[in-house]
Amino acid sequence: MNIIVCIKQVVAGDQVKFDPRTHRLVRSSDMSRINPFDLFALEMGVRLKKEYGGSVTVLTMGPEISEEVLWEALAFGADGAVLLTDPRFANSDTLATSYVLGMAIRKIGHYDLILCGLRTTDSGTAQVGPQLAEELGIPHVSGVESLKERESLFQAERVSDGYREMIEVSTPALFMVSSKVKIRTPSLNEIQDAFTRYRIERWNLEDLNADPQKVGSQGSCTWVEELIPLPQQKTCVFVEGDPREQARSLIKKLTEKNLVS
Amino acid sequence: MVRQFAKAELIPIAGEIDEEGRFPWEVVEKMGPLNFFGMQAPRQYGGSEIDSISYCLVIEEVSRACAAMGLTIAVHNSVCVYPLTKFGDDEQRSKFLPPLAAGEKIGAFCLTEPNAGSDAMAIESTAIRDGESYIVNANKIFVTNGGVADTLIIFTSVNPGDVKRGFSAIVVERGTPGFEVGLLENNCGMRANPVSSIVLTDCRVPKTNLLGREGDGFKIAMAALDTGRIGIASQAVGIAQGALDASLKYAKERIQFRVPLARHQAIQMMLADMGTMVEAARLLTLQAAHIKDQGGDLSGPSAMAKLFAGRTASKVASMGVQIHGGYGYSKDYPIERYFRDARATEIYEGTNEIQQIVIARELLKREED
Repeated sequence: MNIIVCIKQVVAGDQVKFDPRTHRLVRSSDMSRINPFDLFALEMGVRLKKEYGGSVTVLTMGPEISEEVLWEALAFGADGAVLLTDPRFANSDTLATSYVLGMAIRKIGHYDLILCGLRTTDSGTAQVGPQLAEELGIPHVSGVESLKERESLFQAERVSDGYREMIEVSTPALFMVSSKVKIRTPSLNEIQDAFTRYRIERWNLEDLNADPQKVGSQGSCTWVEELIPLPQQKTCVFVEGDPREQARSLIKKLTEKNLVS
Repeated sequence: MVRQFAKAELIPIAGEIDEEGRFPWEVVEKMGPLNFFGMQAPRQYGGSEIDSISYCLVIEEVSRACAAMGLTIAVHNSVCVYPLTKFGDDEQRSKFLPPLAAGEKIGAFCLTEPNAGSDAMAIESTAIRDGESYIVNANKIFVTNGGVADTLIIFTSVNPGDVKRGFSAIVVERGTPGFEVGLLENNCGMRANPVSSIVLTDCRVPKTNLLGREGDGFKIAMAALDTGRIGIASQAVGIAQGALDASLKYAKERIQFRVPLARHQAIQMMLADMGTMVEAARLLTLQAAHIKDQGGDLSGPSAMAKLFAGRTASKVASMGVQIHGGYGYSKDYPIERYFRDARATEIYEGTNEIQQIVIARELLKREED
């Protein structure tokens, strides 16, 4: 079974900053990491590979520095990694990103499953997964908690509005993983193996045979016109009384705000 | 990876295990599968045999969170697993390395005695050949990991009349009749590491446990310590970095004169010096690691790294206490732990003064241009 996992390098949660002029995220290597939601997709991919055999290839689009997350993915158990990097890809919105990923997947050729995270922690649109499926003309299911093969189909389990849905899909298909599985920490040996056994492929616009009009700003149909930081109001309330009264009063206040139930 | 592990598993317990003086087996069991105990062992024996720079980064990150655990893995790898790998024969490697590399057994290095330490040749312990065995008698003190160690390299003399010629390294396993763990030290820092004395009384050890040949002990000890010093230097860098992290956090939070401490220039100057020293110590340590990986002469560079990093850890932790003011002197903040832990790095695996002797010897033997 050939599995492709799409991942993204994001800015660590507490470090998100926007350039006030360009409205774009400020990125640097020391504050970047693999999108935490993508780890679930990667973990599921590696588990499926162990169960059914085959291979896991990870894909990411981004500047050179993004290769760091590919090395991390190889340490997690992926068998191949491709970095889609080209200055012309810069400023792609979700549609242009999906096009680039789609062209790379066409170049890879044979695949059974594409796994993505549910969304990213930096821009968080949750659009790339469905758009990529549309680009490739394949079915997709979002919010997938588990996957298993049933005859020639794949059965995806998802939770939605208080119901557990079981959906059968023909392959190839794309799944956006919303798993709660514990993410394993790769060992030193696995990290070392990633660097000694594998190398990272780099594909640019020409390698993908992609249309330059469909990538980057030109290929994007959305753009951020304005970015207004929302004021975060902080207020400090002193809780009076003896400790017992203070605790009671605190519980009441938190309950009123629906912070505890 | 190590940073994530340290954040999740070590930072939450570092204060508590220090206070209780408890060796955290529950975390040690999790470090085994991550290969933290086999960093200096070959793959075929279950180790990872990573390069020295990666090794330093692992020790630094663990020590940044919990110096006592940094010490456990540094000593286990550098002065037990490494000499077994380098000087052990195939049989010894096959027997001792797999459980050590998996973290199922803990290693230790026993050189210091009541009357010998920096002066290694003053050891009084003996190993007298008796048929296919040695009868070992030894009183070893300040043994890092001593309270939990299963596989210990004992430095002893097979020729009590001539210690210099008889100085030898013998592997002794816990449980051998005559093997006894003495009292645990009530140390001021690194309290989660069970430093103890080890007493061997007429301990019969197979002669196949001799590392190298009779008389090779000094060479083995020095090789182990040369590499061990890089590990301890990394530990000191980790402690210094941890102290800096804690001080930066505190300086941003604590308000005095209506602004955070970090806005006061006097505090900024301290932070700037601390950051610069940490970076210098790290680079000196990584340079020594690089020289080791290149197969260069390690004695001078590793002694310089250990000397400078140990002093840096003490100095930076002390400045950190100063930034914390009264709270720095209280057990409510982790900075006092870094302050206590740091001090040991100027003492063990060769005191500052021994490092200075090594460095001066290396400098003086260079020929003039």
